Amino acid sequence: MNSHRRKLLQAIGGTGVVAAASPYLSFPAFAQNTPIRVGVIAPKAGIAGTIGECGLRGTMFAVERINATGGIAGRKVELIVEEETNPKDSIERLRKLVLQDKVDCVQGIVSSGVSLAMGAVAEEMKALLIFWDGTTQDGVKETMASPRYVFRSTDNECEAVMASLLAIKYWKGKFKTIAGINPDYSYGRNNFAAFQALLKKFGVEHKVVADQWPKVGTTDLNSHVAALKAAKPDLVFSSLLFADLPIFMRTAHGAGLMDGGTKFVFPAAGFQHTALKKSFTPEGMIFGHNTLYFDHKDASPLQKDFVKMYVDKYKDYPHWEADRAYFAMQVFKAGVEAAQKAKNAWPGKEDIISAMEGVKVQSLGGPGHMRKDHIAEQTFYQGLTTHKNGYDFPTLGTVDTMYSDRIQKPPGGDFWKWIETAQIKL
Amino acid sequence: MTSFFDIVLGGVFHAAVLFLVAAGLQLVFGVQKIVNLACGSFYALGAYFGISAVNWAIAAGVPPALFLPVLVLSGILLGAIGPFIEALLLTVYKRDEAFQLLLTFALVLMFQDVLRYFWGANPQQLGDIATQYGKIVVGTLQVPTYNVLVILASIAIALGIGAFLQKTNFGRILRATAENREMALALGVNVRVMYASVFTLGTMLGTVGGALVVPTAAASLDMPVELVVEAFAVVVIGGLGSMRGALVGALIVGLMRAAAISWYAELEMLAIYLVVIVVLVFRPAGLFGKAVE
Repeated sequence: MNSHRRKLLQAIGGTGVVAAASPYLSFPAFAQNTPIRVGVIAPKAGIAGTIGECGLRGTMFAVERINATGGIAGRKVELIVEEETNPKDSIERLRKLVLQDKVDCVQGIVSSGVSLAMGAVAEEMKALLIFWDGTTQDGVKETMASPRYVFRSTDNECEAVMASLLAIKYWKGKFKTIAGINPDYSYGRNNFAAFQALLKKFGVEHKVVADQWPKVGTTDLNSHVAALKAAKPDLVFSSLLFADLPIFMRTAHGAGLMDGGTKFVFPAAGFQHTALKKSFTPEGMIFGHNTLYFDHKDASPLQKDFVKMYVDKYKDYPHWEADRAYFAMQVFKAGVEAAQKAKNAWPGKEDIISAMEGVKVQSLGGPGHMRKDHIAEQTFYQGLTTHKNGYDFPTLGTVDTMYSDRIQKPPGGDFWKWIETAQIKL
Repeated sequence: MTSFFDIVLGGVFHAAVLFLVAAGLQLVFGVQKIVNLACGSFYALGAYFGISAVNWAIAAGVPPALFLPVLVLSGILLGAIGPFIEALLLTVYKRDEAFQLLLTFALVLMFQDVLRYFWGANPQQLGDIATQYGKIVVGTLQVPTYNVLVILASIAIALGIGAFLQKTNFGRILRATAENREMALALGVNVRVMYASVFTLGTMLGTVGGALVVPTAAASLDMPVELVVEAFAVVVIGGLGSMRGALVGALIVGLMRAAAISWYAELEMLAIYLVVIVVLVFRPAGLFGKAVE
């Protein structure tokens, strides 16, 4: 199965047929004949399986387009895909990609547990590595203050910061008691703490009446919902994001937690958007789609092409991991081409890395750039849910858009101090 | 008061599901003296197969009201794998318990790949099937009708097994075999058939449990291991091999978990295993288990 899939992916490298019409015709003078090899490490199974699958589809879409227009600086792209599992095995696959397959760049990773461990190894191996996601830091402290070879996505806490700002914008003065049900690891803990810190910063008086921390993958949330209901909160904040989110929503609906005007904030619900059916997911919730809102009326032609392809080919609607993967490939492409142009010869790894610092790209969900400190800035989408659409799941009635420089700590900054001291606009 | 009932109902629902899995574990141990770690895998198989069964039912135009019987039926049908699995256990019946544990744990891992092969690696869900059954509303108390049906089904199964073991000839022979295998053999009982039947019944309890619960939950590759850990807590509390123990143990675990989540969520597991430790210290054979002499 793996070998079949790999052959299929490698075949993408050979599908470009319009090189003659490409604007990159100027590159072949410097280009090598061999394809650029990009390793991808993404989850294929378990709670993050669908997330990895969506990301991989974003990568494949990017590679098909790149190869169809002449490749990266004249060289076609060839993908080698490996599975992200636990940190130890995923690191072995990184070593295999770098040492055995001799890839030019590695992209992927969804889990923070894997990215935290893999980042240090990539630095030691001097392997160019661009993370799609999985960038919850250890207690929100940077574990790699000045990486040279590792580039990472926006802080995972961005979505919580944006959702908190929207909750304050829409509902300040309309809630006093809050409750949280968040996954029991650093991501969930950071998000709920960030929400409370922002409420404090904006002078929103509140009282936490319940906080629930189900383990990721918990499939019976009846008791958690009963506890939330007993606490009678005005607002529930939840950064559940895997298969447990639809379970929570169904259980909460069945128990009547959604009756009586309780407000809901779901910063990361977009991963499960198609599983959250209208029959148990109410309108008027704050709902995060992160860096790709598939149904955005003002989406770029690029996004519209991607969504159309996705629906036609996979009979599904994409979420943000596709955008993260597409962004990673575009940052690499832009870096290689900028370095090649500056050097007037095929660039080395160090040249490419330097060129990637500060590079701006157009991703599926909108514009983004890679900061000098190797942390991405991208466009985020959240809003209030509506049932007025042709789907069997809610979409956004109002779409709020924020560039991540508004909701992410600055280079070298401390997350909690930044929340306290920054001039954050609602 | 409403909050109290909500919390109790949450606990009872969890207990209902746990009971079905633990009952299968107890039945098999009680008669065959095999600690069957694969009981969690049967639960997961039931959940996945239940999803496929409901999807077939939807495609065949079966009305939503009949999805519950479809799920129960799918669990019962799937239980037919029992005799084939039991045949594998022939090799370990007379061996040390460690071999039994190794073999049944190997089954857990093998079934994980079976699930992956047939249903893929990603968690599967049944959309809003449970929601379609509506809610029971009494004042401010709201309970999903489907949850109540699962609890009632579990109670019915518990009563049914009780009656089967106590009132039927087969049940009497089964209990006699559990008490003294050699005597049963001497009296002409076909122990092979008895073992295969008991194992199939234990398998069915797991598969029906998985099928029943999946509309409110999700089927995932991790669920066998997750559930078997709690099922063992039930067995230790109730007493290995005791059906009554499975029922009481499941209720204790379900209610302790619900209470811990309500009052101090971080203590969810601690509360359950605190009870396990207390039982092990003061009543090592469990509340309804027989002490080993």
